[in-house]
Amino acid sequence: MDPCLLQACEVTKVYGTVVKTKVIKGIDLSIFAGEFISLIGYSGSGKTTFLNILGALDQPTDGKLYFESEEVTAMDDRALAYFRNRNLGFVFQFHHLLPEFTVLENVMIPSWILEGKVHDKRKARAKELLELVGLQDHINKKATQISGGQQQRVAIARSLINDPKLILADEPTGNLDSESTEQVYGLLRDINKTIRTAFLVVTHNDHIAAKSDRIIVLKDGMILRDERVTGKDDEAVWQSVAPRYCKHCQKASILK
Amino acid sequence: MPFEWTMAWRFLREGRGQTLFILLGIAVGIAVQVFIGTLIAGLQEDLIQATVGTSPHIVLKGEANSNEMALPNDAEAYLARNAGNFGEQSALIGNWTRLVEALEEEEGITAVSPLAQGNAFAQKGSERQPILIQGVDLKRADGIYQIQDRLVQGLSRLGADDVLVGNALAQKYQLKVGDPLMVELPGGARQSFTISGIFDFGNQNINEAWIFMNIDRAMRLLGYSGRVVQIEVQVEDVFSADVLAEALSRSYAGLTVTDWKEDNADLLVALQSQSSSTYTIQVFVLLAVTLGIASVLAVSVVQKSKQIGILKAMGITSRSASRIFLLQGGLLGFAGSLVGVVFGYVLTQLFLWGTSLKTGEPIFPLVFKILPTLGIVAIATLASIAASFWPARRSAKLNPIDVIRG
Repeated sequence: MDPCLLQACEVTKVYGTVVKTKVIKGIDLSIFAGEFISLIGYSGSGKTTFLNILGALDQPTDGKLYFESEEVTAMDDRALAYFRNRNLGFVFQFHHLLPEFTVLENVMIPSWILEGKVHDKRKARAKELLELVGLQDHINKKATQISGGQQQRVAIARSLINDPKLILADEPTGNLDSESTEQVYGLLRDINKTIRTAFLVVTHNDHIAAKSDRIIVLKDGMILRDERVTGKDDEAVWQSVAPRYCKHCQKASILK
Repeated sequence: MPFEWTMAWRFLREGRGQTLFILLGIAVGIAVQVFIGTLIAGLQEDLIQATVGTSPHIVLKGEANSNEMALPNDAEAYLARNAGNFGEQSALIGNWTRLVEALEEEEGITAVSPLAQGNAFAQKGSERQPILIQGVDLKRADGIYQIQDRLVQGLSRLGADDVLVGNALAQKYQLKVGDPLMVELPGGARQSFTISGIFDFGNQNINEAWIFMNIDRAMRLLGYSGRVVQIEVQVEDVFSADVLAEALSRSYAGLTVTDWKEDNADLLVALQSQSSSTYTIQVFVLLAVTLGIASVLAVSVVQKSKQIGILKAMGITSRSASRIFLLQGGLLGFAGSLVGVVFGYVLTQLFLWGTSLKTGEPIFPLVFKILPTLGIVAIATLASIAASFWPARRSAKLNPIDVIRG
């Protein structure tokens, strides 16, 4: 078994002070190095909140978070910032590239934050990554001058620049057409296989989910199902996941 | 370039119109500050120069109404006693050579000049005109009156029979260098002198009434028996003349010490209130500039909240996020005030040019001073950084999860 990267212990999240809404209800979860995990569930099931907690962007109300046996929940602002920069990559639904910078500069920003300046070595690495995502011809364009799919691929290259061990992606293709979606997922999977970066991807796309190593289903702030699907028949996995969690198949499942 | 600097610079650069307008706003504000500051400083310097530039700052006289009035019982002394000369009001100063030397040793004093002064008449034919004899040691007096520089004809020379007269008197009596001048004392005694030079002090009264004479000759003529009426002093810092005068009156007992500030209290009050109103204007201009920067950056924080959110997710600290805005404030303030200094300088030059159109010479000279200008730039930059504290705080407090979901 691969070593454990990120571990959540009894994590809860409560919103509101007067009327309290428990969004995450005591989740235990371990993420291992090199895994490709899909996190699925209805809207409002707490997927994004949970992802934000795992990414140390949000503090849990209760419970602890460990990264390689270091307690993340005990870190101060400075340590957290360094931790995120060093160990995690983020890909969001809206790419969030910085329009003030070129494609190449956007990719380099996390390394820049880490090292304070631009090293030639990092620049070369950024070019490599842009090649990996197929954008080697666009490196000097402004981030706003390329298409949505291309922007998302830049965001992926950016998430990889500091060689993080885990990339957290929140509906990375939620904003893209189906062709770009296929492309982006293919890319994520390739990166996962070649660089052995672990992925935790929140998605609504069950076809994608079916191709993961592991599927976690969240419902009402709790883990409903946590299943390793590697090696299983794609079609069978899809059948087990899709009818209940695919928006489009929802009606069909009720009719059954 | 360090990360935060680049970020601040890019945010400003991409702000384009917004950045340009606030820069212009700062520049105009600073230009007004620089212009008004220079204008008022020039005006005040001109006024001070006109008031005390070529007159003594401190005057030491004998004790008023002292009993030391025992003049020798000879003819000249008799004349002096009955001539309404200064000896009647305050005692003459004897032994002044040592006093002058002692004063020259004092710190802060730039010129010391003994003066044997007395009233007389200039006579030409049947006409008589009151004059004021200024018996001086020419070299010392030059330190105060700059006689040499103000000579329009002849030589700056005071031999035993020489006098220097003003151009108004010379014009009135059609005198020229080398002509004799008959001086009549109030008692009726007369003596003839030779005009060695004609001066122009730029003051009608002085040009008409003053005549400079060798100090020894004047003392004899006026019957002062080797004593002088007063000792005149110029100091380095005109505004602390009163402090120095106070110190002098303590160390030289028996002398009455007066300074120019006593005689010009009204002028000083006027200058003071002028300065106050200048400062008030400058403070409010600075306040307006500061508020402008604060509001632009506050808007900018909102505009850039997504960028800040993603940067935080990628690992910049809250401090770093706030520094990006402090730097923007500082950069705006610094660049804006530098441009403002250039504008201000252009304004002062325009003023000089505009006021000299009619007369060929500006109303008063403006001196563009580097140090106060740098002070204005420094204060504006600091105020701009201060103005960005609130936007910077908002940037620091911005929670990435609030913005990254779109």
